[in-house]
Amino acid sequence: MVTEDSDTENKYKRADAAETSSERRAPVGRRRFLQAAGAGTAVALAGCSGGGGDGGPVTLGAAYILSGFASLYGEEAERGIEFAVSEINDNGGIDGRDVEVLVRDTEASGDTAIQQIRSLVQEDNVDGLFGLDSSGVAQAVAPQISQLQMPFMITHAATPFVTSPQGEHEDSVGNEYVFRDSNSLAQDVYGAARTAQELDATEWATIGPDYAFGYETWDYFQAYCDGLGVEAEFTAEQFPALATSDYTPFISSILDADPDAVLTPLWGADLTTFIGQAESAGWFDQIDHTLFSVGMGTDLPSDGSPLPEGEYASTRYDPFVPDTEANNSFREAYYEEYGSLPTYNAEGAYRALHLYKEAIESAGSTEPDALVDEFTGMEHSGPVGEYQFTETNQATVSSIWGTVTYDEEWESNVLDPVNRYEAGPDVLSDALGDSDLPTGI
Amino acid sequence: MSLTSLVPLIGIADVVIGLSLGSRLFLIAVGLSLIFGVLGVLNFAHGGFYMLGAYVTLAVVSNVVDNFWVAAVVGALAVGVVGAAIEFSAIRRLYDRVDSDLDQLIVTFGFVLVIHETVRFVWGSGSYSIDPPDVFNFSVTLGGSTFNAYRLVVIGLAVGVLAALWLFITRTYFGSLVRGTSSDREMAAMLGVDVPRLYTGVFFLGSVLAGLGGALSAPLQSTSPALGDQVIIDAFIVVVIGGLGSMSGAFVGAMLIGMMQSLGPQFISAGSIAIPFLAMVIVLLIRPEGLFGGIGE
Amino acid sequence: MSATDTGGRVSRFGSAVAEGWTRERLGLLGAVALVLVAFAPPFQVYLFTDFLVVALFALGFNLLYGYTGLLSFGHGLFYAGGAYGIAIVLRDLTPVVADVVGAGIAPLVTFALGGVVGLALVVALAVPVGWLSVRLEEIYFALITLAFGMLGYSLIIQDPAGLTNGTDGVIVLLGTVDLGGFSLRIGGRRIYYAISAVTVVAAVYGVWRVVNSPFGTVCKAIRESPDRAAALGIDVSHHRWMTFIVSAAVVGIAGVLRAGLASVASPGLTHWSTSAIAVIATVIGGATYFYGPIVGAFIFLYIRWAISRFPALEAYWELFFGALLIAVVLFFKQGAVGGLLLLRDRLFGDGDADDAGSGGGGARDDGGQATAATDDGAESGDDNARADRGDNS
Repeated sequence: MVTEDSDTENKYKRADAAETSSERRAPVGRRRFLQAAGAGTAVALAGCSGGGGDGGPVTLGAAYILSGFASLYGEEAERGIEFAVSEINDNGGIDGRDVEVLVRDTEASGDTAIQQIRSLVQEDNVDGLFGLDSSGVAQAVAPQISQLQMPFMITHAATPFVTSPQGEHEDSVGNEYVFRDSNSLAQDVYGAARTAQELDATEWATIGPDYAFGYETWDYFQAYCDGLGVEAEFTAEQFPALATSDYTPFISSILDADPDAVLTPLWGADLTTFIGQAESAGWFDQIDHTLFSVGMGTDLPSDGSPLPEGEYASTRYDPFVPDTEANNSFREAYYEEYGSLPTYNAEGAYRALHLYKEAIESAGSTEPDALVDEFTGMEHSGPVGEYQFTETNQATVSSIWGTVTYDEEWESNVLDPVNRYEAGPDVLSDALGDSDLPTGI
Repeated sequence: MSLTSLVPLIGIADVVIGLSLGSRLFLIAVGLSLIFGVLGVLNFAHGGFYMLGAYVTLAVVSNVVDNFWVAAVVGALAVGVVGAAIEFSAIRRLYDRVDSDLDQLIVTFGFVLVIHETVRFVWGSGSYSIDPPDVFNFSVTLGGSTFNAYRLVVIGLAVGVLAALWLFITRTYFGSLVRGTSSDREMAAMLGVDVPRLYTGVFFLGSVLAGLGGALSAPLQSTSPALGDQVIIDAFIVVVIGGLGSMSGAFVGAMLIGMMQSLGPQFISAGSIAIPFLAMVIVLLIRPEGLFGGIGE
Repeated sequence: MSATDTGGRVSRFGSAVAEGWTRERLGLLGAVALVLVAFAPPFQVYLFTDFLVVALFALGFNLLYGYTGLLSFGHGLFYAGGAYGIAIVLRDLTPVVADVVGAGIAPLVTFALGGVVGLALVVALAVPVGWLSVRLEEIYFALITLAFGMLGYSLIIQDPAGLTNGTDGVIVLLGTVDLGGFSLRIGGRRIYYAISAVTVVAAVYGVWRVVNSPFGTVCKAIRESPDRAAALGIDVSHHRWMTFIVSAAVVGIAGVLRAGLASVASPGLTHWSTSAIAVIATVIGGATYFYGPIVGAFIFLYIRWAISRFPALEAYWELFFGALLIAVVLFFKQGAVGGLLLLRDRLFGDGDADDAGSGGGGARDDGGQATAATDDGAESGDDNARADRGDNS
């Protein structure tokens, strides 16, 4: 069966990949949401128009991938934004002012992202920025942010180099204006290595996208395994281009190398394509363990949840852990609104808005430097738990890994059992051992 | 980046995968080659046709009738109609121009953009997948490696199409018209051949083949608006190497590139995408007419 | 040049300006407009700089296409060459240069050095690529240039010798010049605009000189009929090769500027879809006119920007340009410039008294853009070297 969104009025039928033969899901209808355009390239969510000024609404700018292989991420972020905006505006706004968010499409390209961000700052006069999905884009954008002198809260892009101060490593581009409220690749892959410790796999391989994120995942994994003393041999690696439509040759190559386990940071539609094709090739029968390091991002919206049960996946935010009031009520309300569990991209975006609210209210102004001061070292809590920003502007969100299980009640994949690994600066630098890779925290 | 494994093993699956990749490439390349051989038009939009074939097939399967084969035929024919319409309305005006080649290339490139955006408009920018038809949707394991049985069907169909085309071109009246016209358009017209209708017919046929390629590939790869652009470059490489205008050249070239794509990641994970382009450059320099140059050979 | 000579020239210039819509007047207006743009809002300055860079890219491309009849789908290779050249120099050689000339002026020197290196790299590439490519004609030329462009793309992605950083590209940080308390951010919108404007104007002037020289005439002769040209004793291949190199160099300069503007040199620059931008801009503007690519670039960028103000349409700008491309090729090969000239003729009767040059007449590029405070007739010298093509309009 072809899986697709059957809402014919929505010009952009958001399509997700097929269900796998082993899991049949009833597609849950999606709420169409406030997309002024079919594309959602410039969308003003829940606010009146006009730039932020005293008395007028607070305007924030967001940049996400809204088209192409990872468009689902942008969509999820937009949901989180919409949810937060109505929550905030319904409860008195920010210091009495409504908040509105302009969302732009980065198209997963650094060039485009920089242009859009410049336009947001210089044409739309936003009071603050947040977003970004792609690590490559984040690395290109970070230096520009310090030139624009505007705070930027990264909510998803995971490369540790954007929260590693310039000079720490030759690739570091961190600066005082760039923050991240979600966990980084360094934290995430630490969890992968801890998971690997528990497994009896000795030969490891990877298949990841051909850009910073793919390589960094593998580099960090190898470094952590070394530092933690995990017995592992790294026997094969493949890095197909982003938006590859046929992974079969790469899959075949890995299978020929016959590793015990594979770590894969493939994401977005690429992941769903890969899984379907891997199943056809008998991957999950042959390979003992597959670790999906960003698996839960596209998995939860129930239109297709293809992560196979029994494999391992990580998430930057889990709807069930920690079992706090904040998390539970967020999950319930979100599910009621959208019919699916909140993904980490939605939660990261949601929390960015709350972070801005708190910063603006504490500072009593929307001056960029005042906001930067507020964010620096800020302690905050949200559905993801309690955390604070370290001196490199990285949030101390834990690394969450678990086993993929289908949950009847929520009609979706969840991680169960799930482990949260505290991944603070000391833990990470110990685990990295001799490596010169930065902890990014 | 390093070598993936020190002892590369070519499993049977790799060969089957390579041949099935080649089969899909063949279907789009042979149409491209045919159109160029007869009309002298290098149709940049051929990748878009392939993509459109996949999308229409998916749409038919999900909305009209849950039979893959019917949907594939509908997809192929629909694309044929689109192609014929493009030829009739746009390309036809360019035949008499002095520098028709380049103008045609640019116009067809304009259609690349139009088709891409139309597809995005109708189906969104996400990607779709579809399972192979149930009767073939099982895994075959030979010699330790596994592949989906449907791939064999695709290979078989490609061979069948090649045979059918060959018969068509060499044994039928229409085929002889095609052969005759491609070598000398004015002469053919003087001999009473309705050249414009013939051209539209050939364009239709070439487009149908591309659409068929897309339709048959839908179960094996994900379909997204990026597909057209990805595939047209491969198609160009194939027809250059095989020979613009040659059917058997398209077949051999396609299989060659297909195998390269299948085995590339095994042997040289780095640089495997550069090789087809290098081959293209070399062939263009040494033997621009390709390995098999000429039509109907 | 004696003082009286200069004085004489100035007064001749002045009277030419006063006389009516002459080249000199338009040139002066153009220069004034360029200066005025520097005071526009930052985003508009950025957009205009973008336009200048793309215009140069298209102009370089058209040297080969409009003037010599060779359609290249791989010119992005040289665009990327210039961009990566300067990006890598800035990334790796800034400390070295700083040691030599002192940290204050280093960014500017490195920038200039990077530009030179980028240009040199491009020329070095163009020599073999051009020599090989011009052996082929028409479609085959398009195919081989496409292949070279994509070959470049696939090689850059491999991150050879750790230079190009693969898919993510090389980040470009322009730095700040510190001279005795006075500091200048090279990447600042207006500074960079000034740098780009000067460079582009100079380059356009250079191309104009080339086109109006015997060299340019030979190009047109070859385009009209290679056989006849050969019969006249012209070494067609050699000449095409030379044109290729010049064309690539111009595009390389645009690439250097692109790196600073986009703040990143990415492999996408040499992808065929980027090469296609030059094709689109040129064809829409009118490949048979010197200013065609410039007008086309203007249309490409400003209509895109205008469309982006309407979210519902913005997603489909490609559709618009695809349709426009088709329409132009089918019905109106003279493109926008041709259209403007027709309009001018209709509105003003015959051409102006001051026509000089090969039948093109002083081009009054009104542009019809009342809203945008830009002027694309800004380049010095206004002759549309109208190169007639043999086909129907």
